[in-house]
Amino acid sequence: MTTIRRFCCNDLLRFSPVNFDHLTETFNMSFYMTYLARWPDYFHVAEGPGNQIMGYIMGKVEGQGESWHGHVTAVTVAPEYRRQQLAKKLMNMLEDISDKIDKAYFVDLFVRASNTPAIKMYEKLGYVIYRRVLRYYSGEEDGLDMRKALSRDVEKKSIIPLKRPVTPDELEYD
Amino acid sequence: MSSKFGMAGGIPERRVRPIWDAVDSRQFKAALKLSTALLSKYPKSPYAIALKGLILERMGKPDEALSVCIDAKERLYSNDVVIVDDLTLSTLQIVFARLDRLDLATSCYEYACGKFPNNVELMMGLFNCYVREYSFVKQQQTAIKMYKVVGEERFLLWAVCSIQLQVLSGTGGEKLLLLAEGLLKKHVASHSLHEPEALLLYISILEQQAKYGDALEILSGKLGSLLIIEVDRLRIQGRLLARLCDHPAAAAIFKKILEICPDDWECFLNYLGCLLEDDSRWCSGTVIDQLHPSNYVSCKLSHLNSEKFDSLIENASHFMQKIQIEDNTDFVRCPYLANLEIERRKRLYGKIEDGRLSDSLLKYFCRFGHMSCFTTDVEMFLQVMSHEEKMTLVEKFNKSCESSTTSQAKQLGQSITIFKIQEAIGTMASLSSDELECMASHMADIYCKNLPLSKDLDLQENMHGEDLLSMSSNVLVQLFWRTRNIGYLLEAIMVLEFGLTIRRHVWQYKILLLHLYSHLSAFPLAYEWYKTLDIKNILLETAVHHILPQMLVSPLWVDLSDILKDYLRFMDDHFRESADLTFLAYRHRTYTKAIEFVQFKERLQHSHQYLIARLEAAILQLKQKADNIEEEESILESFDFGIQLLELSSDVTLKSLTFNDDIRSRPWWTPAPDKNLLLEPSEGKSICRRYYLQKQAEESGANVRKVIERRCLLPRLIYLSIVSASSSIKESVDSNGSISDGKNSLELKSLLERYARSLGRSFTEAVEEIVEVSNGQKSAEVFGSNLVDWLNFAVFFNAWKLGSHEVVSSLGDECRSSSWILVSSLIEKFTVGKLKSMKPLIQSPGIDIPLLVQIVTEPMAWHSIVLQSCIRSILPSGKKKKKSGQTDNSNSSLFQEIHSSVQSLCDMMEEVTQWLNEQLNTPEEENLNVLLSYLPGRGCNQGPGKVLQVLEALASSSTDLEHGDRISKALCSWRSNDILRKIVIGQRNVLSEFHHICKSKLPVLHSLRQQY
Repeated sequence: MTTIRRFCCNDLLRFSPVNFDHLTETFNMSFYMTYLARWPDYFHVAEGPGNQIMGYIMGKVEGQGESWHGHVTAVTVAPEYRRQQLAKKLMNMLEDISDKIDKAYFVDLFVRASNTPAIKMYEKLGYVIYRRVLRYYSGEEDGLDMRKALSRDVEKKSIIPLKRPVTPDELEYD
Repeated sequence: MSSKFGMAGGIPERRVRPIWDAVDSRQFKAALKLSTALLSKYPKSPYAIALKGLILERMGKPDEALSVCIDAKERLYSNDVVIVDDLTLSTLQIVFARLDRLDLATSCYEYACGKFPNNVELMMGLFNCYVREYSFVKQQQTAIKMYKVVGEERFLLWAVCSIQLQVLSGTGGEKLLLLAEGLLKKHVASHSLHEPEALLLYISILEQQAKYGDALEILSGKLGSLLIIEVDRLRIQGRLLARLCDHPAAAAIFKKILEICPDDWECFLNYLGCLLEDDSRWCSGTVIDQLHPSNYVSCKLSHLNSEKFDSLIENASHFMQKIQIEDNTDFVRCPYLANLEIERRKRLYGKIEDGRLSDSLLKYFCRFGHMSCFTTDVEMFLQVMSHEEKMTLVEKFNKSCESSTTSQAKQLGQSITIFKIQEAIGTMASLSSDELECMASHMADIYCKNLPLSKDLDLQENMHGEDLLSMSSNVLVQLFWRTRNIGYLLEAIMVLEFGLTIRRHVWQYKILLLHLYSHLSAFPLAYEWYKTLDIKNILLETAVHHILPQMLVSPLWVDLSDILKDYLRFMDDHFRESADLTFLAYRHRTYTKAIEFVQFKERLQHSHQYLIARLEAAILQLKQKADNIEEEESILESFDFGIQLLELSSDVTLKSLTFNDDIRSRPWWTPAPDKNLLLEPSEGKSICRRYYLQKQAEESGANVRKVIERRCLLPRLIYLSIVSASSSIKESVDSNGSISDGKNSLELKSLLERYARSLGRSFTEAVEEIVEVSNGQKSAEVFGSNLVDWLNFAVFFNAWKLGSHEVVSSLGDECRSSSWILVSSLIEKFTVGKLKSMKPLIQSPGIDIPLLVQIVTEPMAWHSIVLQSCIRSILPSGKKKKKSGQTDNSNSSLFQEIHSSVQSLCDMMEEVTQWLNEQLNTPEEENLNVLLSYLPGRGCNQGPGKVLQVLEALASSSTDLEHGDRISKALCSWRSNDILRKIVIGQRNVLSEFHHICKSKLPVLHSLRQQY
């Protein structure tokens, strides 16, 4: 039961049941607002009956040439609304925008190497592990860079896995 | 910044870059050295000077930085400067902004734009300055100028945004919208529009003027294609049609959206509303409080005749059924929930429906009852049902659950849902204590039986049945409320701690726990759990209410100060950077967000919590320094002697307060920060959460405003009391015969009048009240929950009376100084009374300790300040000890009063300290045994402990095979006594902090007694 619409500032005051989750980072204001100001089409919220916030996705589009891609910065769902494929819906939406509006080659995301449930979910959604980023999370935990090719990448070149892990300073984008 | 380098004010890049590099790597000393070298070569370059200013500011030398930058600014203005570039200006702007001198930055840009008109880069800088200053009119003028120079769409839209902001902030008339519309129309005619955001802004300008038809025309024209996602366009179209009251057309559009997005509940409501020609979704002020939306879907009774109504409802019903068939997945709930809404509408219309709403609910339960959002989904439908209907419904759910042959996980989900529904409709109150006990144990039992389901789950994943432990704990709290048996309260805590032992990430448990610990005055434990929630950034605004109110009345000043500092730092940082982000939105042509950012900043700036935090941070400092009048005075001076805070209490401020806290996550028994049901008798009340939430929204505003007003007055009252006390003594010693009341005295009186008003009394009534309570004519109940505020009033009243010659009739012919006795007797009455009635903390949850802490740290502290002021005036500096024959006035009644007042305050402080000593001397083991005795449980048929028994049986029998390695290990580590010991230690720390505060107050009181 989902009304998906653009995220707005007031939603920041309503998303606590989602963000209390220990894996959901509450970023600083300039982070959220920069996303809202620059990529408003990549920041969506799902609302349920009674105007409850069910979850949200934030992302961006960046890169040059064949690395022009959509990026999922965060996707999260409140405990009450889990296990009903809401994350999938939100991800599909972002993929759609990257594909149809921005004509990107692929969508990527980073996930903690230990977050098995999330990795499994992304795999189900068609993402593959493209490379491992050493100590990506606060210099402690490795991150996995996962990708899904979009229609513009006909040969699926963007998702051929890298053989060796990279360090955070080798990343093209933050 | 490298792109900006080149020739800045005639300086080659290679000379400037090392300075920026040094600044970026925080090597400020090195940067300053390089800057000095640069200045020796270019002594007159404004850019070189500005750079020096920037470095000085970063080094923490704001005054020097300001004077250097003002120098740079003057150089800019001098005639011999031929180039004024944006790099110099933006460098100056950075420094001026950090020094809170936006005006100076603006004037630099204004000057530059005057000197080099038509330079768009400079004008953009100027526009940015006005964005920072929230000068919407000037923004508009600058944007229009830019538009005229280069004719770019974005500048026109900057102007339009600036116009809209003027209208929204109430500083510009609606006529301005017409201007914006005209500008856009003209531009569209010649150049069209190229950005979806531009179209959205255009539509909103028209919508704001109720020109829905025009907006529709534009949307359906060529420009409409700017919105690539069809649903987005349709949503706007539907909204516009509905506002235009073209209901059939609007309904058709919403129907179309539903075909594309069958699970869009909001859209279904719009569809049904339009179909039934019910415009309440569009016209009820249209300003829906997005933050605290009501679960209840508002709708108007339909004016349609019965036949028409039936046929339209039939249409809707068929359509939703069609969708059900087409999209028959397990997760799409909207078409099914739609049935419930349809039945509800019928019922509201007055159709006899013979239990059809119930039937629909049951069907919905059978399909989705296992989902954890079921209760939230259906809450609004339960509201229209009678109590009997609800009870029958629960029975039906139960039966359906028993007969279902679904998976174990789904069955578990259904059982949880039934409990949740019972919680939501308030059935707990009708159950006997025994039944409640059974229910709580039953919940724990189901939890245990289903634990194997979570065997292979990752630690990060929610486990099956987690809700059961919070619900069981809630039932135990209900039992405590009813029986006052502390055992239940302890058990409620244990249940949650048990859950967190198994999986430490359940935030729902943590929130409940932190409130339960707070109720036990075990504040350190509450704070510990709060910290594990990692509440930061914007969550502070919505969730700090979980900890702040209780910390404000606790003796944990260091932690309180941290909480306040963190919160205020977040808010102030946001206010500082918000305009930059708004400008970012302008630059990226996200016009709607530019407007939204400005409104959001306004909303946060008016946050009642922000106001409270600023006040309490100041008051905390006053509390901390109350033992030393000189230090207290210097704190007061830093707030402009209380005037700064007093100004915050203006009507305009109080009326525009916003309430941003998310109170839905609070426990049932404390639905609002200022409400604790456990302090009230239970009287078999049925707690309907919604009722309290609604009431909170209505009442809390008014209450909070009053509390804030009193707290705003406090610092100024303290200051004026110090002045009044000392001047009265001087007057008394000098006997200069002046009898007219001074300015300070008049101000003090008028503030006391306001203070009394906020307590719901006139000044005279308030004075009568304190007099009558002090002499026993009235009971203290008249003070209600504002005891501390009343005691404060008495203290400040006494201080006023010292310096005033006005006769207060309520004091009758009693001597002028009798208000000293009044204050002392009130403080004695409540302190001694409290101490006598108080059981050891371990046995008495509630507010006794916080209340005592407040009496000591507020009225007693403020009174001690008044006394310090008096005695300082009697004994001018240097004369510390009283010497015989020092003053002829030592026998005067006033001085005797002061003497007895010091004595009384001393006695009270000693009594409190003594009481705390006794408490702290009780051995830890003894306290532990007291707590253990509350939980006889094991083996007993009645009383607390049974739920714990269920859980402990699980813990002792768990195996790797059954529960998996992780859970089984966690279960093995469970020790209930550890939790009880934690409580003992937590409470002890509170007592010891309090003891520390009292002890620190004794020396000054002793010395006052000795001195005088």
